[in-house]
Amino acid sequence: MAAVVKIAGVEKVYPLGKTEVRALSGIDLSIDEGEFTTIAGPSGCGKSTLLNLIGCMDIPTRGEVYIEGQPIAKLSDRELTRLRLEKLGFIFQSFNLIPVLTVFQNVEFPLLLQGRWTRAERQAKVTALLAEVDLLKQQQQRSSELSGGQRQRVAIARALVTNPRIVLADEPTANLDSATGERIIELMKNINKTHKTTFIFSTHDPQVMRQAGRIVRLKDGHVAAEQRS
Amino acid sequence: MSSNIAQFRLIFAVALRNLWLDRLRTIIIGGLIGTGAFLAVIGLSLLLDVQASMRASITQSIAGDLQIYSAGAKDKLALFGGSGFMGRADIGSLPDFAPYRDAVLGHPNVAAFVPMGLDMAVLSRGNELDDAIDALRVALKAGDESIITGRVDQIKFQLDQVKLELAARRLLSSDQVEIDQQERDLARALAPEFFSQGKAIDEEHLQFLETKIAPLSGEKLPTYLQYIGTDIAAYRANFPKFKVIEGAALEPGQRGIMLSRKVREELLKNGVAKLFDKLHKRLVKRGGTISGDEENQRFATDLSKQYQQILSYLDRPNAEELSAKLTARGIKDDSPDLVQRLSHQVSAFLTVDDKNFSERYHWFYEHIAPKIKLYEVLPGQTITVRNYTRSGYIKTLPLKVHGIYNFDGLEDSDLAGVLNIMDLVSFRELYGQMTDASRKELEAMRAQVGMRDVKSEDAEAALFGDGGLASAAPSEAASETVGDVSSSNQALIVKPTLADFFDPAEVQNGLALNAAVRLKDPSQQNRTEAELRDKLDQGGYKVNIVDWQQASGIVGQFVNIVGGTLVFALSVIFLVAFVIINNSIIVGTLNRTREIGTMRAIGAQRSFIVTLFLAETGITGMLGAFSGAVAATAIILMAGRKGIPAANDVVTFIFSGPRLYPVIHWQVVTSVPLLITLFATLASIYAARHAAKVQPADATQEKE
Repeated sequence: MAAVVKIAGVEKVYPLGKTEVRALSGIDLSIDEGEFTTIAGPSGCGKSTLLNLIGCMDIPTRGEVYIEGQPIAKLSDRELTRLRLEKLGFIFQSFNLIPVLTVFQNVEFPLLLQGRWTRAERQAKVTALLAEVDLLKQQQQRSSELSGGQRQRVAIARALVTNPRIVLADEPTANLDSATGERIIELMKNINKTHKTTFIFSTHDPQVMRQAGRIVRLKDGHVAAEQRS
Repeated sequence: MSSNIAQFRLIFAVALRNLWLDRLRTIIIGGLIGTGAFLAVIGLSLLLDVQASMRASITQSIAGDLQIYSAGAKDKLALFGGSGFMGRADIGSLPDFAPYRDAVLGHPNVAAFVPMGLDMAVLSRGNELDDAIDALRVALKAGDESIITGRVDQIKFQLDQVKLELAARRLLSSDQVEIDQQERDLARALAPEFFSQGKAIDEEHLQFLETKIAPLSGEKLPTYLQYIGTDIAAYRANFPKFKVIEGAALEPGQRGIMLSRKVREELLKNGVAKLFDKLHKRLVKRGGTISGDEENQRFATDLSKQYQQILSYLDRPNAEELSAKLTARGIKDDSPDLVQRLSHQVSAFLTVDDKNFSERYHWFYEHIAPKIKLYEVLPGQTITVRNYTRSGYIKTLPLKVHGIYNFDGLEDSDLAGVLNIMDLVSFRELYGQMTDASRKELEAMRAQVGMRDVKSEDAEAALFGDGGLASAAPSEAASETVGDVSSSNQALIVKPTLADFFDPAEVQNGLALNAAVRLKDPSQQNRTEAELRDKLDQGGYKVNIVDWQQASGIVGQFVNIVGGTLVFALSVIFLVAFVIINNSIIVGTLNRTREIGTMRAIGAQRSFIVTLFLAETGITGMLGAFSGAVAATAIILMAGRKGIPAANDVVTFIFSGPRLYPVIHWQVVTSVPLLITLFATLASIYAARHAAKVQPADATQEKE
């Protein structure tokens, strides 16, 4: 199976005053299409940094990140943004919905940014996904009127609406109770199976980790261990 | 397309949300922009109104749309309020304006060319005793004994007043010898035999009174008359604000002068009447008080000291009648001497306060004004003006005052009322140019005194040889003399020999200092000015061409000054608004980092973020600016109904009348808020770009 994400000898160093903080060091990692992978490890081990690099929200200090074979280090901000829009979906720990917009508008937002869909096409795509996350009835509600689990389901629908190759989720269940968190992971897993979308998410919740097909454990910026179920 | 519209709708919705969430900030910024728009719409609308009204004031009264004067001018032409003022500024001359006129009138947009000249002269005038002596001289000539008796009595009554004045002056003067001499002269005039009944009052007596006694009655300050000399026919046809209010208009071909009403009111009216008028205007028309205003108090104090301005015009019967009337209305005095009694009574009458002013003002005009000379000059009378010509000698000219005029709507304006209007031929003579009439006058005078031209080599023989001028007996003066002239006071009184009329063709060419150009279509003024400049330049005519604003001097620059001030004030307001806008966006960015980061993370380009922020400013700007413009429009509508009163004489001139009636200028009302919105939006680009620098990774910040 082809690798949708390939990380080769990646280092990420952040300047901190006159010193440097080495967030990642010598990471080599390859994630295939359709994998349901979790990046695990304690706080400060580099999970978010690695996800940011895979999500084209940052570029490595050394080494290279390939998304579907395309190296990102030399891409412009505009190209990186375009890459995120077309190939990646994001689910955030705090949901990060746009408060003024309705559920429907939040999900529609990336399609509007893509700018190539007719109103009917957008309608069809958004409605289908809202049905899938069981939020059709709430589509005209604002995010502030939803529960945490509902908000995260909206975020999942928003992440999937552009039919991305990879969905990145940074601790998607951290702000949810365990039952809701479990349902969210289940939902993500179902979508992973039905849409063949590659899911990469970070967590330090052992319960969530158990749902993953592959666990990459980080420690002090290194891949400490890998485990496939 | 539908996706783009949807994207804009999305931006609009997000922008509106943010504005609503930050309501206080939105209100402050919108309020500032609204205030700016309000001031801009009001200010620009009023500016356009004032410009239009000033244009009417200036172009239709004196300046025309354009003014032409010599390129060799040392000073700039300034019809109103210039440094050299109109009188003595050296603006050169157009020795013969005809070719300039022909060239200018050849332009299709030129309606008229009116030659002019601006200058200033001194009005020669005596005091009240001089007037009384003149009146006696006329009565003596007419030989009517009853009139002569009346005039003599009037002079004697005034001599009694001079005696009192002189006694007061002795107390103050350091030159007692001079006072002694003056008292001796006065004693001679007061002696019973000086005006003894039955004996003819000869010219020697009159000249003694004129030279020795009249000066004791006080000298009047010289009055400077500023005037414009012009082709009256062309002037009257092209300056519609000119309106005759008393007497008759100066007709083409007639010599003479039209006095401005304001000049007559300010310079040639009885001092008491003038002070009464001034206080009446300030108290009754403007609603002021004497007690609460220092300037009014000063006028009131001055008024109480001006009793002499009434007494000096009275003869004994009138003085007695006035004294009786004042006594009847409760102003009494026990002095047995009439002059002293009346002085005290009139002084008491002229002591006004807030309670009695209005009643005394009307009583003055009802009972006193008819007994005195209210104006020094009346239509139909001839005045004598004196001017220093450009070559330095003094030229004196008698001018008939044909009438009194106003500029319509500018009745109260000092600026517009400063100019008197005379015929161009008289102007040229006062300017020092030899005209046909003055040439004839000179020839007549040469003939009278037996002057003849002599070659320089024959001059000595002609002067000192046999039959030379030096040995010749004085020739008999051919001019008319009045009365018997004693040998000690021999004087030659030459009657003016200038004709009252001239050939109107004389003002179709010849000297002018400047010329007003009226245009058929004033909106084409700038183009016409440029074309005329080219045309005259190509024709070899070296002239300055200025528009009515420049020609008016400092007053004409008023619109530019106000415009500049308005732009400055608006700049400050908008600068403050823009600083606040930018700061609020930058601060707001900090609070919205996660939201912006999220948008960036899920694929929003930086341009999307910039557009979002610009939309926020644009919406705020548009709401504020249009609200301000609507409020300003409402104010203008209200002001347009009632009119804005002119606070003073200068503003009256600027408003072209006592009130300015603003109108709505739709181009201002619509374009100002649009431009302000655009500027506000563009001014926030920096801050918006700053916001767009938020990194997508900032979406993962755990701040809710």
